[in-house]
Amino acid sequence: MTLIAESGYEFWNPIIWLITFAVVMVIVYFFRKRGVEKYKKGEDQTKIFLCGEEVPGAEQRQVRGGNVYWGFFETLKEYYDGIVRLHTGIVNDYVVWFVAVMAISAIILLIVKLVG
Amino acid sequence: MATLIEHSSILIIAVPLLIAFLTPLIGMASKKARNAVVIVGLSFVAFLVFALARDVILNGIHTYTLGATSPSLTIPEGAMMPIRIILEVDGVSVFMGIVVAIVSLVAVVYSLSSMKGETGQNRFYTLLLLMVAGAFGMVFTGDLFNLFVFLEITSISGAALVAFKTRFADSQEGGFKYIVVSAVASLMVLFAISLLYAQYNLLNIGALAAAMQYTMLDRIALVILIAAFAMKLGGVPMHMWLSDTYSVAPVSITVLLITVSQASMYALMRIGFILYGVTLDLAVVGWIIIAIGILSMFIGVTMAVRQTDITRLIAYNCVCESGFMLVGFGVGLAVLGNHTALRTYGTTAISGAIFHMINHALFEGLLFLVAGAIFYRIGTRDLNRMGGLGHTMKFTAAFFLLGALASSGLPPFNGFASKILIYESVYQFNPVLTIIGILVSIITLAVFVKAFFSAFTGAVLPKYEDIKEVPKTMIAAMTIFAVIIIIFGLFPGLIVDWIVRPATDALVDQASYINTIMGAIP
Repeated sequence: MTLIAESGYEFWNPIIWLITFAVVMVIVYFFRKRGVEKYKKGEDQTKIFLCGEEVPGAEQRQVRGGNVYWGFFETLKEYYDGIVRLHTGIVNDYVVWFVAVMAISAIILLIVKLVG
Repeated sequence: MATLIEHSSILIIAVPLLIAFLTPLIGMASKKARNAVVIVGLSFVAFLVFALARDVILNGIHTYTLGATSPSLTIPEGAMMPIRIILEVDGVSVFMGIVVAIVSLVAVVYSLSSMKGETGQNRFYTLLLLMVAGAFGMVFTGDLFNLFVFLEITSISGAALVAFKTRFADSQEGGFKYIVVSAVASLMVLFAISLLYAQYNLLNIGALAAAMQYTMLDRIALVILIAAFAMKLGGVPMHMWLSDTYSVAPVSITVLLITVSQASMYALMRIGFILYGVTLDLAVVGWIIIAIGILSMFIGVTMAVRQTDITRLIAYNCVCESGFMLVGFGVGLAVLGNHTALRTYGTTAISGAIFHMINHALFEGLLFLVAGAIFYRIGTRDLNRMGGLGHTMKFTAAFFLLGALASSGLPPFNGFASKILIYESVYQFNPVLTIIGILVSIITLAVFVKAFFSAFTGAVLPKYEDIKEVPKTMIAAMTIFAVIIIIFGLFPGLIVDWIVRPATDALVDQASYINTIMGAIP
């Protein structure tokens, strides 16, 4: 009974990985325990703003899903403009893509037959 | 027991079909009895599938000829070719059977709570069981015409189920798109089958494979079949229906739709590896499938990261994951005629793709169930309107994290195990494909970081302070997927040895498939 998924010239054994992970976690915990224990709940050090600024409510603090990776989408704006334009939501277009894939595949196979 | 196994392949299709038509009658008397019959029936089917899997792995291909004096009598006395309807179950068929059995059982358990309060539940379970029977039929059938029939059954029942919640306009739109796309694909499959039938006077896959000449008409049939099944599995650029459909169907149905899409992937591979086999322009057809796979991976994941609807996000991720499988299968097909390459890395690529099929069904299934749980409680799929749900829906949050990590291919989860098989074997074919795969996996992680962050982290929003965890049956359904994901992740070697490797061997062994049908002349 093997625990190894062999993939030709490498192998993957999750049990070894888990043991290694556990050892690393123990080492991390060891260093963490050696830290200074000054943290106290309910004091100024646990406040979000030390200056006394009022903390906004949860609704205002939450970063919305649509705002995540804003920079990524700005950088790839041209790609996204193009790719989103193709996703029309119109079922006729879906069938057109199907016909296009069939036609391109047929042309490729035809060329291969003629050349071969 | 031997008699049960002998008839198991037909029972696996017939039992859900029978219960499908009994469900409305039982449901009129008692809802609890109806639910119990559905659960017990599908559990029995799952038992039969595992018993059949054991038999196929130990004793080889299982055939069942309907109407014959003996189920294994594939060619009638005095005839030279198979005429009757034949089920031919080999390693890859039974592997797909296991996927359908697990997923359908989980889908029903989840539906018990998620569909509670909906009207027309008798019809819901009838359609669900029809879809299950269709999916089993697609993966067990040994002839092309019945493949079309079962494809139609899954399409029609699937469309009705997608549009089941008729009070939502987007559900009706999703159902409409599903039936249009499915009907076009099915009719083109029928057209391709007619081209083959016109030439060879055969419908049985094994018999056709033995007679295959790879004429110009065969080439035309091939491109039609590739395009039709690639559209049904959501391959780019024919993937656009998938996000419109998966995102609006009841999630227990979406989970089943994933298996139906995978049955189409299975059909595509059955046609490529067994029906056409080495007669193909292997490198060319292999690269066509790889190209669809790479496009699916890249466009799927880049579209997923942009979504703010959690179910559309997961749906696009499904497109992406299908790409990994297509690349694995494509590489296997491209080197099918080269024994050295096939032995060195081709079979590993196919094994990775097959292993990823079941992993994909599990982790994407889990993610959809989580999305359904969120919708069940807060009534929205919009990530912009979520936040802090991890405080009140702890189990749901943990399940999402598990599914997300597995989907992103992080160790030690099952997604990593199958992806590493694909990466390392595909690298030997063309390193660029592996580099794209790793890049796509990194973006997949970014997709789920966004979804998890938006839905579950942060301070709990005031409007969701009173939200509770979902009912126990929904938790139970998610737990089944989660446990299997962990087991598959921790013991990938066992899964590969027991069910993936036999499936791979069956897919590359065209001769055995043909001989099982044609070699049984009395």
